[in-house]
Amino acid sequence: MTLLWLRFAVLLYGVAALAVLPAALYDRPRWSQFAVPTAIAAALFHFVSLAETLNAAHHRLPVETHELQSLLALILTLAFLAVYTWYRSVSIGVFVLPIVFILATLAAFRPGEETFSAPVQTGWIFLHIVLLLAAYAALVVSLLASLLYLIQERRLKSKSSRLRFLPPLDTPLETIDQIALRTLLFGLPCMTAGLLIGSVIAQANYGARYFSDPKILLTFGLWIAYVAMIFIRRASGLRGRRAVYLSSFVILVVLFVWAANQFSAVHKFPTP
Amino acid sequence: MSLRQPQSERLTLVKPATEAAVECTRGGSLVLVGVNHTTAPLEVRERLAIPAARLADAIRTLAHQPGVREALILSTCNRVEFVTWQDEATGPANPGLLRFLHEYFAVAADTVEPHLYEFREREAVRHLFRVASSLDSMVVGEPQILGQVKDSYTVAREVGAVSTTLEPLFQRAFSVAKRVRTETQIGSSSVSIASVAVDLARKIFGSLQGKTVLLVGAGKMSELAARHLIQQGATSILVTNRTQEKASVIAGHIAEQISQQIASDANAIACTTEVIPFEQLHAQASRADIVITSTGAEGHIFTKAHGQQFLTARRNRPMFFIDIAVPRDIDPKMNQVEGCFVYDIDDLQQVAAAHLADRSRESAAAEKIVSVEVEKYREHLQTREAVPAILALQQNAESLRQAELARAARRLADLTPEQQDAVDSLTRSLTAKLLHPQIVDLRKKSE
Repeated sequence: MTLLWLRFAVLLYGVAALAVLPAALYDRPRWSQFAVPTAIAAALFHFVSLAETLNAAHHRLPVETHELQSLLALILTLAFLAVYTWYRSVSIGVFVLPIVFILATLAAFRPGEETFSAPVQTGWIFLHIVLLLAAYAALVVSLLASLLYLIQERRLKSKSSRLRFLPPLDTPLETIDQIALRTLLFGLPCMTAGLLIGSVIAQANYGARYFSDPKILLTFGLWIAYVAMIFIRRASGLRGRRAVYLSSFVILVVLFVWAANQFSAVHKFPTP
Repeated sequence: MSLRQPQSERLTLVKPATEAAVECTRGGSLVLVGVNHTTAPLEVRERLAIPAARLADAIRTLAHQPGVREALILSTCNRVEFVTWQDEATGPANPGLLRFLHEYFAVAADTVEPHLYEFREREAVRHLFRVASSLDSMVVGEPQILGQVKDSYTVAREVGAVSTTLEPLFQRAFSVAKRVRTETQIGSSSVSIASVAVDLARKIFGSLQGKTVLLVGAGKMSELAARHLIQQGATSILVTNRTQEKASVIAGHIAEQISQQIASDANAIACTTEVIPFEQLHAQASRADIVITSTGAEGHIFTKAHGQQFLTARRNRPMFFIDIAVPRDIDPKMNQVEGCFVYDIDDLQQVAAAHLADRSRESAAAEKIVSVEVEKYREHLQTREAVPAILALQQNAESLRQAELARAARRLADLTPEQQDAVDSLTRSLTAKLLHPQIVDLRKKSE
């Protein structure tokens, strides 16, 4: 039953991902009146599915890969809805909703085979996971917003009718830039708090050896990259192409951190 | 008198026999006579134009012409139209209407008549719907016409010149115009250079509130663009010119416009003007978010290097350059600088032309909506026309029933109240059943 809800949510995500295209790319704002409620409905079914999954598994923690994928997808959807609420813009959905669709599809049709072995299953661990996923989601949204900035900039610079196939987005450049920066500013406290909570739990359970693990070191490296990125963006007003490069670099670090799960001795998803 | 139709509208004035037959039952005729920008030159239109202050008097005079039952006049810079609900005319137009045209405007018949067009009944409805929906405008999709039609309608209502026929017709025209606006993109894009510039600025900056505009050089077009930007919320205008005095004059002119705007509109945002010496142009330009240039300089005032310098000073906040000078004031290579958006007059015209083409495409969809609405309105009228006949039939049947019941009253006197109710109900039901096929037939005929 839980997978049924999730599959229904996947269907709705697919519909929302398609409906957002005419709204964002073809200046048909009425489509957003369809896309947004569909995404909200999908998020509700998704939440029900996730809650039931965790309940059925008798743990409150999303410890299986498909549960994590599912939670990340849900957070990304909430990020899209938050951006829509604040900026009345659905442009970011052009990228976010397909990613959500893929993540939710993976969770719905390929249930996880790997389980994260949490030493202690407390509310703090739950918070640690949710905060870090929120930080990753903020990074993804920021990168996508930077890409949108690039597209809108190219569109406005091209001027001539030869690029008419590339329609204008519904969101002004400065708004896209604000979305990119503010999501980063939202993500930093999430990542900081998530890491601090994880560190305290690790220190209590494993002691200092936990912090010499490559995965953990990479994660702290990621935090430094995150802070540096925000500093550079704020100090120099970095936008456009260079902002995309910077965000892409930090996303790359995130991917390394995820990949490092496989090699970590203390923080990984062992196959059951 | 020969009346013509605008060539752009391939409409027929010859009505099908069935339609004419239906109209006869209404005992009146809807006639629309007028001139517009496609049929009459400006000299003719201005002879017929009616100032707003005289509109009520003109409508009242027209409504009092013999044979005219209801009247409305629409007078704009591109058209003057007389909409009347009048007695069935035998000729091409009501003599009262023609006399009004000649007497009220004091123009010779041969001056106006060659440019007049006339629509009747369904075609008059269609024309009215097209006008209200801005499909008949010089710039298709422009929004002002609907307001102008509404103003004329308000005046006609105030003087009591519209009632049972023209009132619902105009109400329907307003809802058709609204539907066209909502369901098509006919009015969504700008088609004038100044408004295109404002649209582009909004695509870059979103809200223009708090933005600074720099005017370099003097020119009507740049002033117009600046005025549009102020209306959208720009709060600071910098003006510079090689001749400092001229810059001061322009700044004063803009400041005057701003104070007029503030005086007339309580929601208008205060905006400051400042003259900067031309020698400080490159040092101060980075303060501006939007730069409008229109100097007579032969070389480029701003180069790519200037663009890079401005962006560094602004910490990469975007700048929008509108170059409406010929020869150009801004090196087109500046557009290659990330964050600098340069549009010259040709670029703006290209965007405006593309928008105009978009509107033309959308107008096909709008025409379909108008056709559907004309048909719906015709059906509505016909249904309305069948109502009096049906009512008369029902009243006649009811009086017959009552008469028959009265005749049989003595024989039915012994019946209990329940039995009398049953008889009453029985006769009522019988009458309704007998009338049903005839009512259905009447409705069908009216359709």
